[in-house]
Amino acid sequence: MITHHPDDNLLTEYSSGSLANAVGVIVCAHLQTCPHCRKRVEQLNKLGAAILNQSVAEVVQPASFDQLMTRIRNQNSETSAGDKKSTSEHLHPVYANDPLLKHVPKVIAKLLPRDGKLKWERVSAALKTARLKTGQSQYEVAFQRISSGGRVVEHDHRGLEVTMVLCGSFSDEDGVYNQGDFLVRNAGEIHRPTATQNQDCLCISVVEAPVKVTGFFGKLVNPFLSFRPA
Amino acid sequence: MMSIPLIGPDKHQRDDTWSRLLERVGQARDEQAFAKLFAHFAPLIKGFCLGNLNSNFPADAAEEVVQEVMFKVWQKAPSYDATKAAASTWIYTVMRNCRIDLMRRNKRTPTYKDGIDIDDIWDEADDDQAFVYLQQSSNEALIDRSFTQLPPEQRQVLTQVYMQGKTHQQISDETGLPLGTVKSRVRIGLKKMQTLIMGAEKAAEKNRESWQ
Repeated sequence: MITHHPDDNLLTEYSSGSLANAVGVIVCAHLQTCPHCRKRVEQLNKLGAAILNQSVAEVVQPASFDQLMTRIRNQNSETSAGDKKSTSEHLHPVYANDPLLKHVPKVIAKLLPRDGKLKWERVSAALKTARLKTGQSQYEVAFQRISSGGRVVEHDHRGLEVTMVLCGSFSDEDGVYNQGDFLVRNAGEIHRPTATQNQDCLCISVVEAPVKVTGFFGKLVNPFLSFRPA
Repeated sequence: MMSIPLIGPDKHQRDDTWSRLLERVGQARDEQAFAKLFAHFAPLIKGFCLGNLNSNFPADAAEEVVQEVMFKVWQKAPSYDATKAAASTWIYTVMRNCRIDLMRRNKRTPTYKDGIDIDDIWDEADDDQAFVYLQQSSNEALIDRSFTQLPPEQRQVLTQVYMQGKTHQQISDETGLPLGTVKSRVRIGLKKMQTLIMGAEKAAEKNRESWQ
């Protein structure tokens, strides 16, 4: 059961298209898993439509429609409609055979390297991380894979950290997070996630600015840490 | 300042007309139906863009946005499903995605080949997996009306979020309002709309019962 959701402010920023791509990805991943928030965004999109409907109508250039139809007819001779469907691809066998990855939401599947070569870096005994490309320099998007029962070094944030559990579960000082759960940590909040005993945990995280480690050993082991946007 | 016209009682009926036209565009590639949609939505899209002051769009780019959005509407119409969304909501999401795309291009952020498509990120409906559909959300006419009933400061901040596509932080930076105030205005505005909608739905329910 999903018990942690993005708040109305974040969903509004999603619906209005104001979020940065990297944050949009993780909100979208949650929406693709959570019917409750999808319904909420559906409502918010209707609000967007209401604002569009209530815009002051401005006359468009008289030739506008004809111009558009010319463009459409030229386009039609090249490709036909229904381009949307052809883009859905199958998961690379490497991912499809990985119990942690095979059921990721489709927006996350799109971020996986096509060649099946996701590069895991070992951060500590309990934590591996793999960076994902979203094309934004301001954010780092990465998978965090915590081995069962493993503990991540305590860390805090200079910027926003958004995390979603894709598989398994983990806990920190504030609670337990299961598959689909969505958490936002603001600058200055400290936490130390631990995966539950029976299963590895896979999360995706979006980090706005470099994270710094607070514990003594943090100097040696920097988990979510070396900020390298990809 | 944007003026917000009141919505007539025929709004929902009209909305249905647009949905049917859009379906005809998608299924029969009906150019006349498309012309009617264009005549209605193109000026609204332009107005929406021009209400969008201080953005990355120069005012004269509004025509270009109209072209781009309506082009996408034609292209994507075959995937439109009237049972899932009204035409205006669907066109709103097409417009939103177009704008994100255009803003990204205008900013001249370093381009990247591996970047994920805007339409993949702003795609909340997952049609690959069967999801339980929760009860239908409230109808557009009620949302339209409840929005016009909001106090000006809540309506204004929501208009800024939607028309200008700005994050709460950006609005806070530009208006000088504390971030917490921007956030709470959005939240309170949405909650208030919800209350208004629920009230209207209850009233409608009562009405129906008294007729039976």
